[in-house]
Amino acid sequence: MGIDRVGTSDVEAVRRVLGGDTDAYATLVARYRDRLARYAVHMLGNREDAEEALQDAFVRAYRSLERCDDAARFGAWLYGILVNRCRTTGARAAKRGRVFVRDEAALNGVAHASAAEQTEGEDVVRWALARLTPEYREAFLLKHVEDLEYEEMARLTGASVSALKMRVKRAREQLQAILREAEHV
Amino acid sequence: MFEPDEELIGRVVRQLRRPVTVDAGLDARVMEQVRRLPPRRAGGAAHATWGWLTRPRTVPFLPLGALAVAAVFVAVVLWRPDRPSRPASMSEFGFVVVAPRATTVSLVGDFNDWDAARTPMQRVRKDESVWTAVIPLTPGRYRYAFLVDGVRWLADPAAPAARDDEYGAPSSVVTVGGS
Amino acid sequence: MTLLLAATLAALQAAQGPDPRLERLDSISRPIVTALVDSARAVALPTEPLVQRALEGATKRATADRIVAAVRRLAVDLGHARDALGATASPTELTAAAAALRAGAPPATLTELRRIRREPLTVPLAVLTDLVASGVPVDSAAAAVLSLAAKARDADLVEFRRAVERDIALGAPPASATAAAAAFAAAAVQVNAGAKQQRPGRP
Repeated sequence: MGIDRVGTSDVEAVRRVLGGDTDAYATLVARYRDRLARYAVHMLGNREDAEEALQDAFVRAYRSLERCDDAARFGAWLYGILVNRCRTTGARAAKRGRVFVRDEAALNGVAHASAAEQTEGEDVVRWALARLTPEYREAFLLKHVEDLEYEEMARLTGASVSALKMRVKRAREQLQAILREAEHV
Repeated sequence: MFEPDEELIGRVVRQLRRPVTVDAGLDARVMEQVRRLPPRRAGGAAHATWGWLTRPRTVPFLPLGALAVAAVFVAVVLWRPDRPSRPASMSEFGFVVVAPRATTVSLVGDFNDWDAARTPMQRVRKDESVWTAVIPLTPGRYRYAFLVDGVRWLADPAAPAARDDEYGAPSSVVTVGGS
Repeated sequence: MTLLLAATLAALQAAQGPDPRLERLDSISRPIVTALVDSARAVALPTEPLVQRALEGATKRATADRIVAAVRRLAVDLGHARDALGATASPTELTAAAAALRAGAPPATLTELRRIRREPLTVPLAVLTDLVASGVPVDSAAAAVLSLAAKARDADLVEFRRAVERDIALGAPPASATAAAAAFAAAAVQVNAGAKQQRPGRP
């Protein structure tokens, strides 16, 4: 998994920001923006909420940068902030009664000349994901899409490793059930 | 026709793993907000290289369930860099653990003779489930763990694991540099 | 300090009586552990790690045979650590070295570390051990630490270890995460060496 080491390192950028160079933060934003966006978009189900959570996470990270005790782990630390923001945003969105919105062109960032089947498949996956319990969805995304180890997920989420393993398992079971059901429609 | 279940999940995961792009307008909005904040004083970098500290952490998703593993840490700065009066070789280290249903939590390790009475941990105000302790450490490598209610052992998931061939209870390690 | 002088001092210390902390041990392990501690003192090996290992067992309510086995194993490891690092090694270095050997580091790695690094070896040895605990193959960990040990300060080595752990957590294979982080840390060490004056004081 490519961790970008070209140009200014995380450690160097964090050091500069803490030293008063605000502009250096832009490097970190640009570096982590897309990677974190993927998680946020799938977790929250729509681009608007995802960008709000992402922006919020970046600003919070900037404000509490002194508390990032280890600049070399800035990415993982930022990730933890984003996971938290997504929980808050998700809870708010649920209260407002938002639903997952289809927006495949924006989501994928690439114009699809592809067949209708592919679009349908993507819609079904997003719809299935939306029907998962949020904590199961969170665990599933962190494990299978973001490739985190359970120990790191435990640190980010505050749940035990065994609880997380159970959530991932339940997420898989739920997804399978939902998708099998969808194939009948 | 049913797909085998693994393939189904595999298809889902493959789709979800596709890269997502965000337009750079987000960068601009972040930087705009960030620039409106009060400017930082130089010298904050001193804090970035403190010893083996715990990390800022999140509020748990649900009302806390089983006390299985100490996994979450509050972003509380518990300690200061060396004060002038302290001998140069000593540093203070903060230990944090979440134990929502605990009555007592002790920090035990090579630095206090594994004596559960020596370093009882305190609950952080407001958050009943977070326990902390701060102790001074001279340079060295220390095995340690948290003892909950005198019976249950918790390692520190934020710290390197101690190799345990011997006693069947998990421990962690903290290393203090210097001489 | 010659071995003879050390042994004499040890005999003097032993004459003051056994360590009262060992009274926490059960009646079976106490005399054996006391004897192990005395033997270690007689050959000028550090005794504090042995006492702590025994006390750990007592607090964890381990059986006597496990406590004795643990203390004995640590004493042997400390002896091997001293063989590898030489008689000038500090007790702290020996403790870290014993853990590294137990994690699988070859003695030759320790000897080489001693040769190339003037500063204490405690942190490089600890980093090596912790990397292995995180799943890094011991050869990769050893090679990486050796590549950094000559010039890196303790704080650089700690940053390096955390970088590896982060990359592993984000999915990188441990060995390549280690190699990549080491190459990067080596470059950072050059930068830090230049910027030293601007850094706030910190051991």
